[in-house]
Amino acid sequence: MSLFSSLQVAASGMSAQRTRAEMLVENMANAETTRTPQGGPYRRKDVVFSSDTQASPFSAVFQNEVGTGVRVADVVEDTSAPELRYQPGHPDANADGYVAYPKMNPAEEMVDLLNASRSYQANVSAISAVKDMIGHSLDILK
Amino acid sequence: MLNGISSNLERYMDLLSARQKLVASNIANADTPGYQTQDVDFQFEYASMIQGEQPQIIQAQGLKTKADGNNVDLDREARLLAENAVRFNVASTLLRGKIKLVQQAIQGGNGA
Repeated sequence: MSLFSSLQVAASGMSAQRTRAEMLVENMANAETTRTPQGGPYRRKDVVFSSDTQASPFSAVFQNEVGTGVRVADVVEDTSAPELRYQPGHPDANADGYVAYPKMNPAEEMVDLLNASRSYQANVSAISAVKDMIGHSLDILK
Repeated sequence: MLNGISSNLERYMDLLSARQKLVASNIANADTPGYQTQDVDFQFEYASMIQGEQPQIIQAQGLKTKADGNNVDLDREARLLAENAVRFNVASTLLRGKIKLVQQAIQGGNGA
């Protein structure tokens, strides 16, 4: 029954989008962070999605299933140079009085977050549509 | 008695659920770089599908590819999502009526 595996596919989309939203929120929360355990300012993180060849390896053994889920293949850190602001009084200022801040554009993060939330909603719609179909197929026996 | 129409309905519903899964995949992969929209040729598969066999997946044509190589159109997927669900509901209602009829015949018309 491929309807149940459709639920899995949509759920994989939800979890991927949720991870993406978490990363974006983390980025925004750390927009002014100048200290990290690795040293230096915070570096913005980005998720890389890749389509998953099989949402359920178990059923794949029995039938060659169609459709692919999605997964977070990688989380990459921004490697571009940090933004330098002149703040001589800051404890993290360098010898010239400049403090390295994460290079981040809040507008960009917000648009991305909006996108993630919309994509999450689309996956939720897919789940409820499939759920509806499963419910109707159960009604056949009533 | 049940075989004539209901095996066709069953195939139709099988195909619809397979297509629904592809739609779910397309939505899940709406932000995956390089992902191409998947679909099935519904009419062709309905005419040629052997019971229980998975349909052949094709790549949907005529969609605009974005900068990251992804060509998922969420509006198209939303439309198909709703369309498949409605079609499936129609088919399941028909099948249910068919089974009810047989049930009634078994009970000598006393059933419902």
